[in-house]
Amino acid sequence: MKKIVLLLILPFIMQILVSCSEEELVQKNPNQLATEEFWVSENDAELGINSVYAMFYKAGLWTRWIYFRLDLTSDEGFSKSPWIELADWTRFNYINYNFFEGNGETWRDTYKAVFRCNQVLANVPNIEFTSQEKKNQILSQAKFFRALHYYYAAILWENIPLVLEPSSPNDIPEQRTQQEIFAQVEKDLTEAIIDLPVQWDADNKGRATKGAAYALLGKVYMQQHKWTEAKQALDWLVTGAGSSNYDLVANFQDNFRGDNENNLESVFEIQFADDPNRQGDQGEAAVASVSTQRSQFFAPRGIGWSDGQARYWLVDEFKKEANLDGGLDMRLRYSLIYDDMQADWGLLTYGRTWQWEDGEAWFRKYQRDYYRDSESNWSEVNNRLIRYADVLLMYAEVLNELDMTSDAYQYVNRVRARANMATLQSAYPAIGNDKTAFRDRLKMERVLELCGESGRWADLKRWGDLDNQASVNVIAQRDPDFNNFVVGKHHRLPIPQDEVQNNPNLDQHPEY
Amino acid sequence: MKKFLKKLGNWYIVLPMLMVFMSPYQIIGQNKTNITGVVKSTEGNIPLAGVTILEKGTTNGTATDFDGIYTLSVPANATLVFSYVGFITKEISVNGQSTINIQMAEDLAQLDEIVVVGYGTQRKQNLTSAISVVKSEEIQKRQVTTLAESLQGLATGVNVRGGGRPGQEATIEIRGLKNLQSANPLYVIDGLITTANRDFNPNDIESIQILKDAAAAAIYGSRAANGVIIVTTKKGKKGPLKIEVSSNTSITELPRYDLAQTEEFAALNTMAYVNAGETPPNLQLENNTNWQEEMFRTGFIQNHNVSFSGGGDNSTFFVSANYFGNKGTVIDSEFNRTSFRINTSGKRGIFSVGENIALTFAEVDEYSGNPILDVVRMLPTIPVLNPNNPGGYGYGEQGVANTFGTNPVAINNLIDVRNNNFRIRGNFWAEINPISSLKYRLNVGYETSFDNRTELRKAGSWTLNQPIALPYYNENRARSQSKLIENTLSFDKEFGKHEVKLLVGQTYQSGDYAQINGSKTNISINSSTGEYFEVLDQAGDGVVGGFKNATTLISYLGRLEYQYDNRYLLNAVFRRDGSSRFDDLNKWGNFPSLSLGWRLSNESFFNVEAISDLKIRASYGELGSGNIGPYDYQGVINTFGGAVFGTNQTTYPSATQVSLANSTLRWERLIQKNIGVDLSLFDNAVNITAEYFVAKTEDVLFGTPILLSTGNDGGNPISNAATVENKGFELSLGYNKSWNEFKFNGSINVTTLSNELISLGTGLNEFFSGNTITTVGEPVGMWYVLQTDGLFQSDAEVQNYTSSDGTVIMPGAQPGDIRFKDINDDGQINNVDKEVVGSPWPDFTLGLNSSASYKGFEFSMNWIGSFGATVFNSYRSVVDRFDDDTNYRSGVQPWTPENPNTNFPRIVKSTTLNTRGDTDRWLENGDFIRLKYIGLGYNLNSNAVEKFGIDSVRFTLSAQNIITITDYQGLDPEFSGPNIFERGVDGFAFPNLKTYSFGVEFNF
Repeated sequence: MKKIVLLLILPFIMQILVSCSEEELVQKNPNQLATEEFWVSENDAELGINSVYAMFYKAGLWTRWIYFRLDLTSDEGFSKSPWIELADWTRFNYINYNFFEGNGETWRDTYKAVFRCNQVLANVPNIEFTSQEKKNQILSQAKFFRALHYYYAAILWENIPLVLEPSSPNDIPEQRTQQEIFAQVEKDLTEAIIDLPVQWDADNKGRATKGAAYALLGKVYMQQHKWTEAKQALDWLVTGAGSSNYDLVANFQDNFRGDNENNLESVFEIQFADDPNRQGDQGEAAVASVSTQRSQFFAPRGIGWSDGQARYWLVDEFKKEANLDGGLDMRLRYSLIYDDMQADWGLLTYGRTWQWEDGEAWFRKYQRDYYRDSESNWSEVNNRLIRYADVLLMYAEVLNELDMTSDAYQYVNRVRARANMATLQSAYPAIGNDKTAFRDRLKMERVLELCGESGRWADLKRWGDLDNQASVNVIAQRDPDFNNFVVGKHHRLPIPQDEVQNNPNLDQHPEY
Repeated sequence: MKKFLKKLGNWYIVLPMLMVFMSPYQIIGQNKTNITGVVKSTEGNIPLAGVTILEKGTTNGTATDFDGIYTLSVPANATLVFSYVGFITKEISVNGQSTINIQMAEDLAQLDEIVVVGYGTQRKQNLTSAISVVKSEEIQKRQVTTLAESLQGLATGVNVRGGGRPGQEATIEIRGLKNLQSANPLYVIDGLITTANRDFNPNDIESIQILKDAAAAAIYGSRAANGVIIVTTKKGKKGPLKIEVSSNTSITELPRYDLAQTEEFAALNTMAYVNAGETPPNLQLENNTNWQEEMFRTGFIQNHNVSFSGGGDNSTFFVSANYFGNKGTVIDSEFNRTSFRINTSGKRGIFSVGENIALTFAEVDEYSGNPILDVVRMLPTIPVLNPNNPGGYGYGEQGVANTFGTNPVAINNLIDVRNNNFRIRGNFWAEINPISSLKYRLNVGYETSFDNRTELRKAGSWTLNQPIALPYYNENRARSQSKLIENTLSFDKEFGKHEVKLLVGQTYQSGDYAQINGSKTNISINSSTGEYFEVLDQAGDGVVGGFKNATTLISYLGRLEYQYDNRYLLNAVFRRDGSSRFDDLNKWGNFPSLSLGWRLSNESFFNVEAISDLKIRASYGELGSGNIGPYDYQGVINTFGGAVFGTNQTTYPSATQVSLANSTLRWERLIQKNIGVDLSLFDNAVNITAEYFVAKTEDVLFGTPILLSTGNDGGNPISNAATVENKGFELSLGYNKSWNEFKFNGSINVTTLSNELISLGTGLNEFFSGNTITTVGEPVGMWYVLQTDGLFQSDAEVQNYTSSDGTVIMPGAQPGDIRFKDINDDGQINNVDKEVVGSPWPDFTLGLNSSASYKGFEFSMNWIGSFGATVFNSYRSVVDRFDDDTNYRSGVQPWTPENPNTNFPRIVKSTTLNTRGDTDRWLENGDFIRLKYIGLGYNLNSNAVEKFGIDSVRFTLSAQNIITITDYQGLDPEFSGPNIFERGVDGFAFPNLKTYSFGVEFNF
C-alpha cells in the first residue's frame, strides 16, 4: 500500500523538479560593446581615430607630466616643488625608476596611445567605406600619431619596445634601438604624408595635416643628423607646395593664447578645451578632462602650484639684444613672468604686484594671466606643438648643416623680424658664413623664440651638448641642476623598473 | 519571476536511480512483543524526540516521537539499541519487559555530533574530511560586526584579518593562499549560497561548519576552492515559548601613534632643512595640534538581541530581532544594523516544510580620506581651522607648513558619505520522506538587497594646492538579486553492517545587479537651513550613469557515503558546474573528490586502554573557482572618450578598447590531498587532530599586473595567472576535564603553511611587484630590496667604501647617510643590487583557547600568535623620511656628528637617498602574540531569579585585543596587505580596536 502511494506521489515530485536550459549560461554584457562588435562601420573608425587624439588629455602626456620631462629637465626650467621626488626627477636624481609621475605614467600613456593607433591600423582596413579617401585619411592619422608618440619616447628613453600590433595581455615586446624606433617613425610619417590632407575643414581643425607630418619627419631626420632628408621634408613647408598654407602671425603672443587658435602659424596644434561637462580627471570616464593642466602646474606660487618654473638666464638672454627701436625684445614680455615685469612692461602678474623672490621667473606661454587672476585645472589654451617659426628655424639649421649658411639667414631673419629685431647679419656681423658660429647663434635664436615650448631637450641632444663634460659644464652655469648630470647616463631616462623586470626582452640601460 | 518559474519542469535523471533504491526491504517478524517506553535525557529529564531504536543485529527499528515515546515490536529476547545524536548510545536487553523507559546521557566528547556537510549531515565520527565546527556560544561571546571576525582563533587553519572600522568586512582565509584573486570562502547560510555581509546578524547563528579540504568542500564544486563556511541559523525546539534577551555594550579604543608635538617637531624639521642647506619653513609655533585627538575618539557599541522560540509536535518557530549600533573610533563614522529573522518549520506525515527569512537594514556613515595616514602627515604646527583657506580649515602652505597632507577633520566635515542597504534573505524548503530511507528536498532561496549610497561634497579645501571644487551631491541606488533552486534526493539506509548514503541533486543559481547613479555639481543651498540640498531635484549640473550585470550557474551533483561496521568509511563526491562567466569553450568544469577513513579503534585487534577513539583518513579532491567578474573574458569598448576639434573647439565623442581582456579564461582548479588522524585519549579527555595537506591551485584567476607597454589601463585583466602549491600541517590538541563542579577545557592549535609558485601564466619565471619578487619554486611575494649596512661615520668611510676595482660606490654620500650593500660589486647602488631578504609568510600561527567554569562562574580566553613573517612598516617609511615634511615619531634621535652611535641616518630635506622605499630599512619582524579575547561570565542560580519568572540570568564582562606582545613598530601587527604579492605591506590599514564589553542575558 505504502509503495503504491509512493509511486503516485513520485511523478508529481518529478514535475516540479528543475530542468535547466543551458542557454542561460550565455550572458551578454548589457553595458558595453564587446571588442568583436566594434570596428564594423565608418562611424566606428571615426570614433577610433578620435580616441587617439584623446590621448593628449592624459596626465602622463601633454596634459601634465611630459612638460616636466621636456621643459623642466632641460636648462630652461627647473622645479622647486616641495614634493621632493617630483623635483628630483627634474634634476637627474632618479632613485625609484618606477616613480609613476616622473616616469611610469608617461611611459604607460605613450603605449596607451600606441595601442589606440594600432587598433585603428589593424581594424580599419577591414571596414568598408563609401569613400576610400576618408578611410585613407583615418589610417594616415593613426600612422602620424604612432610616429609622434614614438618620436618623443625615443627622445626620452631612446631604446624602447616597438609595438606595432594591437596588444594582448601577455605581450613581452622586444626592445629596439633608438635608430630602429626612428626608422619606424620615418616609415609611418612617409606613409601618412601621402593621404593626409593639406587642410581640414573648419569643423575638423586640429587634425593632423600633411604639413604636420612633413615637419615631424624633418624633426626626426634632424635628430639623426640626416640633413639632406630633413631638408627634403621641410622643403614642402618652406619653399614647396605647402608653403602658401603657413606664415608667421603678426602678434607673437597669438601663439600662446586661447584665442586665435589654429592660425596660419600653427603646423600641429593640440586642441584643449574647458568643457563644463568634462571636468573630471585624466582617466577614461565620461567626465574625463579635455583640458591641459600645464598652466596650473607652472603658475607662480599662490596662483597655481608652481611645480615648475623658468631659469632666470632666459631673462638675461632676452635683454642682451635690443630691438630695432632700442627697446626690449617683446618676446620676453610674452615668454616669461619675472621679477621686473612691472618695471619693464608695466605689467602685473595675474593682477598682483611682484610678491615672489628677486631673480625668480616662470614661463608665461600658455598661461592665462591675460584674462584671469588665478589658474585652474582646466585650461583651454591649445598647445602649438609645431609652429611655423620652429619650422623656419629648423630649416635654417638644416641649410647651415648642409653648408648653405648664407641661404639660412633669411629664415632666421623672418622670425626675428616679427619680433622687431634687426637682421642676424646686422646684429651679429661676425658670424658670416662660419657654420659653427651660425649654429651657436641659432641655438640662442631658438631659445628666444621657442623657450618653454618643450623643444629644448631634443635640441640639446641633437646638438650633442649633453655628450661631453665641457658643454655640460656650460649648461650647468645656466642651470645648476646639471651639476648632477652624468655624461653617458642622464641623456636618457631609466626605463621603469617593473617593465624591465617583467619583460625578459627588455633590458635596463646599462648605466642605470 | 516568470523566468524563475520556467525552471520548474521535468527532470528525469533521478528517476531511474530512484527506482533502484525503492526495492522493498522488509523483515516480517514472528513471536514478537510490543515494547513501549519514554526516552528522556539524564540532565533535565527532558523527553528526547527522534531517538533511533533498533533491534540489535537487524534493521527493525523506530524512532521516538516528540514526547520521547516509542513503540516497537521485537522478540522477547532481543536487545534494543538506543542512539541519538550527541548522546551516548545505550543497549538494553528486553528480557520480556513490555515497558522500557530509559535516560540517555549526553556524550560530552561529542564524537557523535552531527556536522552539516552541505546538502546533508554527517556524524562527526564518520567524517573523512577536514571540517571544523564552531558553536554559537563561542561566537556570541564576542562583540563583532561580521561572522568572519568571530571565527578568529577558534578553528585551525582559519585565518581572519578583521578591521575595526564601523561596518568593515573582515577577510577570512582558510588554509592559506590558494586563490590570488580573493581569499574569501563561500558562505552557505541555511542552504542559501551567499555572502555573510555586515548586514547578517551573528546572534542568529546556531553553528558554523568550516569545510576546509577539497573532499569536504567538493559538493560545492566550482566555488569552493577557498573553503566553505556553512552557517545554520537557530531553530525553535519543542516546548513552551522560550524568550532570550541579551544586551551588550562596549567601548572601543583605537591604538595611537606616539608622535612629536610642536617643540620636538620643529627641532627635527629645522635640522632636516639646515642639513640640506635650505631655509627652514616659517613654522607656526604657536600651534600644537594633536591630530589624533582631533580625529579619534572612544567608540561605543551596543548590541541588543531578543529571540522567541518554541514549537509543538509538528512545528517549530524562531523569531529574533537585533539592533547593533557602533559609533566609530574615528569622527564621523557610524554603523547601525537592525535585523529580524523568522525561521519556522512544520511536518505532516511524510511532508515537511520550512522557511528561514531575515530582513536587515544596515547603514554606515563612512569616513573619508584615510585618517590612519592623515593624522601622521599633518604637522602639529597646522591649526585645525584657518579662516583664510576656502572652507575654513587649516592645511599645508608653502614656506609655512610644507605638506600635501590631508586635514582629516576638514575632509570628514566637507565630505559626507552614507551607505545603506535593506536586504531580504531567505529560503523555503520542502521535504518528502516517502519511506524512511528516501528523502526528496526542494530548496528555493531568494536574496535581494536594495543599496543606497549618497555623497555630499561641500565647498572647501583640505590640502595644499587643491583645485577649487564645486559642491556636489551624488546618489547611487542599486539592487541585487540572487535566486537559487536546488533539488536533491537522498537515500540513507543500513544493510547489516553496511551503511549507505546517497545524494543526487541539481541546482540553478542566477544573480543580477543593476545600479543607477546621478550627480549634481554646483548644488544650491537651502536658504532656510543654510545646508545644501541633498536631493537631485534641485539646481545644478547633472550627470547620470548606471550599469547592470547578470550571471548564471547550473550544477549537477552527487555524493556517495559508505561505511562498514563503523570501521571503514568512504565518501565520494562529484559536481559538474557550468558558469556564464566564461566563454563558450570554457563554461563547464567537473569537480570530483574521494575520501577514505579507517577507524582503527573499532578493530577487534585494536585494544589500547588509553585510546578511546582513533581514526585515520585520507582524501583527494578537485575544486574550482570562477570568482571573477561577469564579463571579464570579453574585451570591451570604452565610449566615454572625447576629443576637441574645429574652430569652435567642440568636443566630439571617441571610442576604443582601453582595458585588455583574456578571452581564454579557464576555471581555476584546486587539487588537494589531505591526510588526517583523529585521536581521543583517556575517555575522550584528550583529543588530538593532525592534518597534513598539499593543495595545488592551477590556473589561478588573478589580475596580475601586466606590462605598461601593452598600453593597458583601467585595471589588470584577469588571467589564469599562476599555479601555486600550499603545503601545510595543522595540529589541534584539546583537553577537557571535570573535577566535580570545576570544569576545564583547553585547546591549542598550530598551523604551518608554506606556499610555492609552480608556474606563472605568462610562461615567465618571475614576477615583480612593489618591493617583492615571485619566482618559480619560491614562495609568492618575497621581499626583494636593497640592504642597508649601517651608516657612514666620516668622509673617509665614504671614500673607502669601494668596489673591488676601486670605484667609490656612493660618492655622493655624506657622514650620517646609509651605506647600501653593492651586491653585484659594480661600484654603484641600483636595482640590480636587490636580493631576497625575507618572507612575508609566517612560519606558523598559533591559537590558544581555554575555558573554565566553577558553579556559576565561567572564564574563557583566546590567544592568537603569528611567527616568522617579515613585514613592511609603511608608517615608519613615511614618518622617518624627512625629505617630505610629515609629523615625526616622538623620541627619534637621528645621526649628527654629536650623536654618531645610532642606526637612524642623518635627516635631510633635499634627497631621497636615505629614505628610498625599496630597502630593508622599513622591514620589520612581524611576530606577535595577542590576547584576542578574555571573558568572565556569571550565571545567576535559577532559584534566585525564579520568583521573577526568569529561568536564568547571565552577566558577562569581556575584553578584546587588550594585550599584544610584539616588537613591530607599526600600529597593529595583525593587518591585511593590499594584495597577495604585497602580502606583508602594512599600508596604514585600520587597526584592530581594544574593546571592553559588558553584557547581560535573560532567559524566560
